[in-house]
Amino acid sequence: MKHVWLAALVTTVAIPGTLAAQQDTVPDRPFVRGGVYDRPFLFELLGRAAFGGYAEFHTRWAREDGINEFTFVPKRFNLFTAAQVSDFVRFSAELEFEEGTEEILLEFAAIDLTIHRAFAFRAGMLLSPIGRFNLAHDSPLNEFTDRPLVSTEIFGVALSEPGLGALGAFPVGRSGRFTYEAYLVNGFSDALITNSPEGTRIPLGRQNFEDNNSAPSFVGRVAWSPSLALELGLSAHHGPYNQFSADGVSLDDRRNVSLYVVDLDAAVAGFRLSGEGGLGRISIPAALSGINAGRQSGFYVDVVRDFGRGWIPTMPVAFFSAGLRVDIIDFDTQIPGDDKRQITLGANFRPTNETVFKFNYVRGRTTDRFNNAAQFAKLLFSAATYF
Amino acid sequence: MRRTLPLLTLITVAAAACDSLFTSAPEDADVFDAPIPGLTDAEMEVFLAGDAAFEEPFSATTGLGPIFNDVACAACHSGDGRGRTSNALTRFSRGTDPARDIGGPQLQDRAINGAVPEQLPPGVDVSVRLPPPVFGVGLIEAIPVASILANVDSLDADADGISGRPSWVSAAEFVPADEVGGGAGPQLGRFSRKAQVSSVLQQTVEAYQQDMGITTDFLPVENINPQSGAATLARDRAPDPEVTASTVRAVVDYVRMLAPPAPGEATPVRTRGSDLFDQVGCDRCHVRQFRTGPSRIAALADQDVVLYSDLLLHDMGDALADNRPDGDANGREWRTTPLWGLRLAREFLNGDLFLLHDGRATTIAEAIAFHGGEAAQVRAAFDALSADDRAALIDFVASR
Repeated sequence: MKHVWLAALVTTVAIPGTLAAQQDTVPDRPFVRGGVYDRPFLFELLGRAAFGGYAEFHTRWAREDGINEFTFVPKRFNLFTAAQVSDFVRFSAELEFEEGTEEILLEFAAIDLTIHRAFAFRAGMLLSPIGRFNLAHDSPLNEFTDRPLVSTEIFGVALSEPGLGALGAFPVGRSGRFTYEAYLVNGFSDALITNSPEGTRIPLGRQNFEDNNSAPSFVGRVAWSPSLALELGLSAHHGPYNQFSADGVSLDDRRNVSLYVVDLDAAVAGFRLSGEGGLGRISIPAALSGINAGRQSGFYVDVVRDFGRGWIPTMPVAFFSAGLRVDIIDFDTQIPGDDKRQITLGANFRPTNETVFKFNYVRGRTTDRFNNAAQFAKLLFSAATYF
Repeated sequence: MRRTLPLLTLITVAAAACDSLFTSAPEDADVFDAPIPGLTDAEMEVFLAGDAAFEEPFSATTGLGPIFNDVACAACHSGDGRGRTSNALTRFSRGTDPARDIGGPQLQDRAINGAVPEQLPPGVDVSVRLPPPVFGVGLIEAIPVASILANVDSLDADADGISGRPSWVSAAEFVPADEVGGGAGPQLGRFSRKAQVSSVLQQTVEAYQQDMGITTDFLPVENINPQSGAATLARDRAPDPEVTASTVRAVVDYVRMLAPPAPGEATPVRTRGSDLFDQVGCDRCHVRQFRTGPSRIAALADQDVVLYSDLLLHDMGDALADNRPDGDANGREWRTTPLWGLRLAREFLNGDLFLLHDGRATTIAEAIAFHGGEAAQVRAAFDALSADDRAALIDFVASR
């Protein structure tokens, strides 16, 4: 663990210190494309505060081994606010209402103190930089109705954690850029095994709003972007999830959960390409071996092409998109089965960049811990817009 | 007709494509979790509720443990069929004493976080048991006692070397007298590997408590690890009982209403194998068929039950002896295992086949080879068949 703390310290102090003296030649581009400070509709109200949000609605028809399910879902209603408090201080927040009011979550609420482009201090409820998708997952931005399986089922997107740390960007070459984010956060709780009847489920360990073990976790991401058309990211999340001591008394061994993610965002020959792959390693008590997985993995790849801009004379900026996603996740890499794989074909219509109507066909296969397979298919229609 | 044919072709192709694009339901005859035909709407509602409860996995927060073997009924019974050797249960006792003071009669080798799993105590009698299929138990329960007893030949009066005897056991106190196998006095054991259980309700409640550490209205006290003291119990913070009587009843009715899968299609080879099955004497224990009597579930009443078992205890010889008495059965006796569902067993076990009480046999031929004791003569008759005849007999059994 010592080396993790050291790495965090070096990242947050030494590198920005070195870079502060460099010429700032980085073109003006968002820290994360589609991230919290790159949203299209933030209406300036009175004074410095801005306000906006997005809404998303689903129509879902699903069929598993011949059994149908149909429902409408008021999927998300998210409110944003942001304020440039001073030249150096800004604040942004996002409040999410999911499936009506089934889940209400303060997804992001952080104060940034920007000393230099290469070094800003951030504290609050953070969007953990574990893969690019967790940093930029607004529904109107996504090309598919459902979020990638690896992001939601393995990494726990949207993963928000209270914590503090630093972020920054600095130039590499003429048009390149290197960005980093490094935070100490509360980390996951042991709910990832105790609340999880189907085996280890890392997302169930989220919402550890008061650290259950008084030992922070580290989460960080570095990204290299040689041009606007390409960004490669590496991120990690590491720390204990269980309560291993209380009142100075040892209760259990310290058990860590670690996530490692690589992400890609690129534009190649008219296609937009994005994806993430990652691995989760969870230290499981011996008494739960065979029930809870100690290792999980997965990836997704999206390929999307826009077309038809100007096809509708009355809507000159409207355009269409066609996309393909491949999702594979393995909830337990140490046994055959307990996995899920699917392909998604998508066709979208965007009257403007901020609004999207999505139609998806999903076909996949899931297996249980006996490796018994079930086939499923879905037809999804969704509408999402920033406001 | 010229117009109709292309239209029919188009509809057929579209339907096939639709199934491929949008998935299709497997045939009821090809799964272990289909309901028996003829259930009422109200019974189907109970069936669905029981199915959900059977599938429901428990976590520590919903009552799992403190010590346990697995997290759900469905976690042991793959697709409602048999389990794998990896989730076999270890039963232990001291002779006929279930050894409850040291954690018997079952080893719970897993525990929720912070609790201590059991370790096998030294010097106990041990028997490893594969989870059996759960389909068809309603039909077995509905077979009249007299029908089962009709095959009893405890003293081998017909001198064929086979002396099936009934397993007379006591029902648990929580099993009411209006349940089959419930009430005071000796009851006919029909369930479990040694026919040591007389009622489906008892089997279900004890599986909740022993296999998953789930307390119920019927058995509201946690199963604890006596080897670890208070620490283990203190970790289970879910209030007891963790499952209500109505949920248990739904699961009991669900397994009662599970239909056995249909046998495979008849072929000339299988027909020959069927004849050989009788000819060598397999059917003396693997009795082909019973007929049910009355049942409060009308669809179970007056039905043929083609299970290939006499539901009686037999001495199976040294190779299969676990030397551990259980209920009325001694350490060499086992209840004749029904052969129904063998056709699909591999499909639900990732291509493997685990046969016999502990899954040690991976082929039917291997399972036959382990037959001894009362079955020794029949096994010898099987061994004496030509290779083709043995293959035909095995093909018949594998198609059940």
